[in-house]
Amino acid sequence: MQNEPLLSVKNLTVDLLTAKSALRPVDGVSYAIRQGQCLAIVGESGSGKTVMNFAPLGLMPTGVTTNLSGSVRFEGQELIGLSEPEVRKLRGKSIGFIFQDPMSALNPVRRIGRQIAEMAELHLNMSPRAAEARALDLVKLVGISDPAARLSQYPHELSGGLRQRIVIAIALAGEPKLLIADEPTTALDVTVQAQILRLLKDLQQRLNMAMVLITHDMGVVAGAADNIVVMYAARAAECGPVDKVLVNPRHPYTRGLINAIPRRDDPIGSEFRGLPGVPPTLGAPIQGCAFAPRCEFAVAACTRARPPMVPTADSNVCVACPVVNQGKAAA
Amino acid sequence: MTHAPVLKVENLQTRFKSVQRGKYVHAVDDVSIELYPGEIVGLVGESGCGKSTLGRTIVGLEKASAGRVLLDGVDLSTLSGAALRNSRRALQYVFQDPYSSLNDRQTVGEAIDEALLIDGLRSADERTRRAKELLEQVGLPHTARDRHTRELSGGQRQRVAIARSLAVNPRVLICDEPVSALDLSIRAQVMNLFLRLQKDLGVACLFIAHDLALVRQAASRVYVMYLGKIVEHGPSQELYDHPGHPYSQMLLASVPEVDPRVEKLRSAPLLKGEVPSPTNPPSGCRFRTRCPLAVEDCALRAPASHVLSPDHNAACIFAPDLHGGKRSALIHQAA
Repeated sequence: MQNEPLLSVKNLTVDLLTAKSALRPVDGVSYAIRQGQCLAIVGESGSGKTVMNFAPLGLMPTGVTTNLSGSVRFEGQELIGLSEPEVRKLRGKSIGFIFQDPMSALNPVRRIGRQIAEMAELHLNMSPRAAEARALDLVKLVGISDPAARLSQYPHELSGGLRQRIVIAIALAGEPKLLIADEPTTALDVTVQAQILRLLKDLQQRLNMAMVLITHDMGVVAGAADNIVVMYAARAAECGPVDKVLVNPRHPYTRGLINAIPRRDDPIGSEFRGLPGVPPTLGAPIQGCAFAPRCEFAVAACTRARPPMVPTADSNVCVACPVVNQGKAAA
Repeated sequence: MTHAPVLKVENLQTRFKSVQRGKYVHAVDDVSIELYPGEIVGLVGESGCGKSTLGRTIVGLEKASAGRVLLDGVDLSTLSGAALRNSRRALQYVFQDPYSSLNDRQTVGEAIDEALLIDGLRSADERTRRAKELLEQVGLPHTARDRHTRELSGGQRQRVAIARSLAVNPRVLICDEPVSALDLSIRAQVMNLFLRLQKDLGVACLFIAHDLALVRQAASRVYVMYLGKIVEHGPSQELYDHPGHPYSQMLLASVPEVDPRVEKLRSAPLLKGEVPSPTNPPSGCRFRTRCPLAVEDCALRAPASHVLSPDHNAACIFAPDLHGGKRSALIHQAA
């Protein structure tokens, strides 16, 4: 654990400039992830969780100018400012991706086997024959029955769960050190979700990869992740080990999110617990804490300046909330 | 429940022609459900089990191939023209995705106005008054009338969609995953809106969802659907505490826990594989191919429905044992 983290993000800010507007979807976020660990990044839509992971790797829509500042170091190499050909060498090889929708992530007119094999050919310089063999191994690895027959099938012949397994096999084809999974189970059923999460966790441990699990669902975090970053409106609100953050959330937003999940002992027909108000729209920079307008504990200090991420009484957990941190100072 | 059901679905069947010649996809197969005035009823199951098709068939978006839909005791298939339109008005649908169910070019006022015109409100003043009332009912400021639907957030758009369906004074709302496209912090607000509408307006709600925790809290009764059939139904608390069908039991057990201390104790995922094709459903009990308790008999004939307690039925030969805790699909799996 003493070695340098595999991925170290410091004070990352992403600015997006389109023809008409300027947005800042990520504003000064820091986190790190070590080999063999899983980090969950949790946030609602528009919180910046996906952009934060994809922008430094050049995965942004065309027609948008992306300005990055801060530092993203992967295996000691700075990614910000890296040229596109150099980033391309990492993408899909040392860093694998799993996307939310397995249908649009696969090419509908090419056979499964070829789609996996081309990754091995490209990134590991394998011969087509060796790559086909590797594709078969990968399909076995992701737990698909009748693997040889699957290789000659097309994506539309497979169910959602099987497709997502194929997407995982493709992501693993380049032997990545880091796997970035963007909402890997959102498009799937609860039952299939449990299977895919188990598979990801299993592979991550077996292959000693680092994994970033991007999700909006607190439910999938507990079983899979070691650490968690909670994002709100482009900024990190709370981070720390899952065992601590989910059991004893400190930031009012994290508390509200966890509290909003229905529990078995809630009476039938009772009011659902939730957060008041709506998340802010991106665009206008927010002076103080972005969550202050929805926060029941907000004080004047919250709207004055942006609260820094500060270690709490438990030094593993950091929270960006003046009220929580002030309480600690007083104690 | 001594009063009559507002909506009664009898032996409903919806089938689609398959790409395989001469074959049919039995999306909904011999389903009967009842909805009483002012109650929220859950309909749960995995994707592909036919729950959306059932909802769409009830409101007439799909054609039923057999069976009847009775609204206040009147069979909708016997009606036509104006009489059918009038009845249909009482039966409204709330779609999953509020981004595709509203016209981006309309303002909120126009969107609601359209529904009110269909309801036959000729006077513009009257429509303005009613639109205000509807916006208030769904918790939007009346100034929202002049805004374009595209300017609104997902939660606000879903409120507009709900206001539109309420405009015609429906008695039954079929809600197809109405909050699954919304952010977690907004979901509770929209769910509470449904609870309030049920209380204030007495609208009955068929709540189609895959989120079991959400359904348990909102619905008084739940139907569990698997591959086109209702396998179990009962009062929510009773069904969640003492499921009588292995599928319900396993579905309930696969809901992830937020508390890592509980979640880390979980064994391997319970339900293996996925829902088989409805073109060639398994013989006998449709769940048998994934059921850890399946025996030879399950393949031979479809299981009879057992009455486990008042209004709690399950179609499984082991239903009484499962319900009584003498047998479990979960323990069997671990062994």
